[in-house]
Amino acid sequence: MTAAGPAIPARPRFRLEPYIQFAQKAMAREATYRFDVFTSVASVLVRVYLLRMVWVALYARNAAPSDLPLHAIITYTTVAMLMGLVMDIDQTRLLHDSLADGSIATDFMKPIIVPLYFFSDGTGEVLFHVMLIVPSLLLALLIVHIDVPSLSVICVFLVSFLLGYLVGFFLNFILNCIAFWTLEIQAVQLIVTWLTDLFGGEIIPLVIFPVFLQKVAFVLPFAAMFSTPLLIYVGVIRPDHYLQALGVQLLWVVVLALIATLVWRAGAKRIVVQGG
Amino acid sequence: MTTGSRLRVMAGVYREYWRINILTTLEYRENFLIWLAFTVIYHGSAIAALWIVLTRFPSMNGWTFRDMAFLYGLWMLAHALHNTLFSTVGEVPEHIRDGEFDRLLVRPLDTLFQAIATPGQVFPDELILALITFGAAIWYSGVRIDATFVVFIPLIVIGGALIDLAFNLFISTVAFWFVRVDALRWIVIQLEQEFTRYPVSIYSQGVRLLLTFVVPFAFMNYFPARYFLHKAHEAASLPPEVGLLTPVIGIVAVAAAYFFWRLGLNRYSGVGH
Repeated sequence: MTAAGPAIPARPRFRLEPYIQFAQKAMAREATYRFDVFTSVASVLVRVYLLRMVWVALYARNAAPSDLPLHAIITYTTVAMLMGLVMDIDQTRLLHDSLADGSIATDFMKPIIVPLYFFSDGTGEVLFHVMLIVPSLLLALLIVHIDVPSLSVICVFLVSFLLGYLVGFFLNFILNCIAFWTLEIQAVQLIVTWLTDLFGGEIIPLVIFPVFLQKVAFVLPFAAMFSTPLLIYVGVIRPDHYLQALGVQLLWVVVLALIATLVWRAGAKRIVVQGG
Repeated sequence: MTTGSRLRVMAGVYREYWRINILTTLEYRENFLIWLAFTVIYHGSAIAALWIVLTRFPSMNGWTFRDMAFLYGLWMLAHALHNTLFSTVGEVPEHIRDGEFDRLLVRPLDTLFQAIATPGQVFPDELILALITFGAAIWYSGVRIDATFVVFIPLIVIGGALIDLAFNLFISTVAFWFVRVDALRWIVIQLEQEFTRYPVSIYSQGVRLLLTFVVPFAFMNYFPARYFLHKAHEAASLPPEVGLLTPVIGIVAVAAAYFFWRLGLNRYSGVGH
């Protein structure tokens, strides 16, 4: 087993096809859990409906914030819920699973870059869910009316969404790497999910947080996952601030990728030590 | 066996059930601590979200954050009481799947009682946390503590836990027909947790009727809170005193769910092991 560890890399020539295959396999696997997907779509629709009633009630009795009128906040929450269909997926669960059943040992022996294998599997899973966003979006539009910004804003939003997805991927990857040390990570993952919900601005836009909490939220990585793309979508982040906003997201991608690399190396070494 | 000796046996089994639970919790201390952190952060972030929203928008249909804290605390206590005493009922579908459930059928005690008293890793930590939270909410909301409050609040909390139990039991019973009920359970849990967080009066007519008569979660916290916080002006179609009916609703709901459970049990013939 020692020779198979990534510490002594017999690096194969890189080819992309296997990873595309991994992604396709993951899509097929997800398709067999269609019913679960319908459940998550149904629950998103229920939450969209609920939150619309909540915001309507709040705006009816109080002064509205100038930069977030009622229709903007309903748009914000609806888009946030739909993003959640993709972002809330634990794309690197496979890492945890292969650590749990020990198949990680043979993964290391295969002529592949193991983290990239997990990435393509997760991406395949996510792509399957993306296809479901379209029907959910149409159904959501039956419940609420949402604003549609100009094409250029939508393009920037998609770029920002992609960066947010990568932040989420590396965060998940780091969490699943904890499984190298202990397999009891479910509670930690759920805790991080709620922190993301709250401090990522998924349920409440960060701009209506009290000022000191806003400061806390904006230095955490979670804001880069939800808040930035959403604030671009509803126009609170103006075009002259796009570069800055995307820059901060990119910074988080790089920082978390570095941490992920370090944690992964430390974890992989452990496997070798235990196996050898 | 006479009823008296049967009850004595059940009490003995139930004591043993808690003894095993507590020993298991002590055995897996780290696991316990991490799930405790999970519970604290779950309720903490829910309350924080309410606080953030109501700092910016001080009134939700006439309810302030102080009122909402009472609303949340009451739900949390009833829900935690249910989780502590009856969460095991939710594991029935899993036991049906893996065949464990069949063992309960051949033993000489009531099947539902056995399902409730299947040891796991239950510990009353959420209940203790809920008592502290509700205590703080009572103080913070400034609700008047009179004789009605002292007599009815414990009954209402028990009634709320029974409403929870009724749904838990109902969903578990569905597993006699359809083995996989995780999705259904997930939807009902979400419905309960999200819709009980806000005053029911903000919802549309259809949702209000649903939460009152079909899935009566409004009786867990909204109607009692409306009574004790004197929010008589809203949802005027029902008098405020309905807030004291929670124990009755709880008993009726559990009776209905138990009837359904007996139906399912009579029909059940195993999943083919």
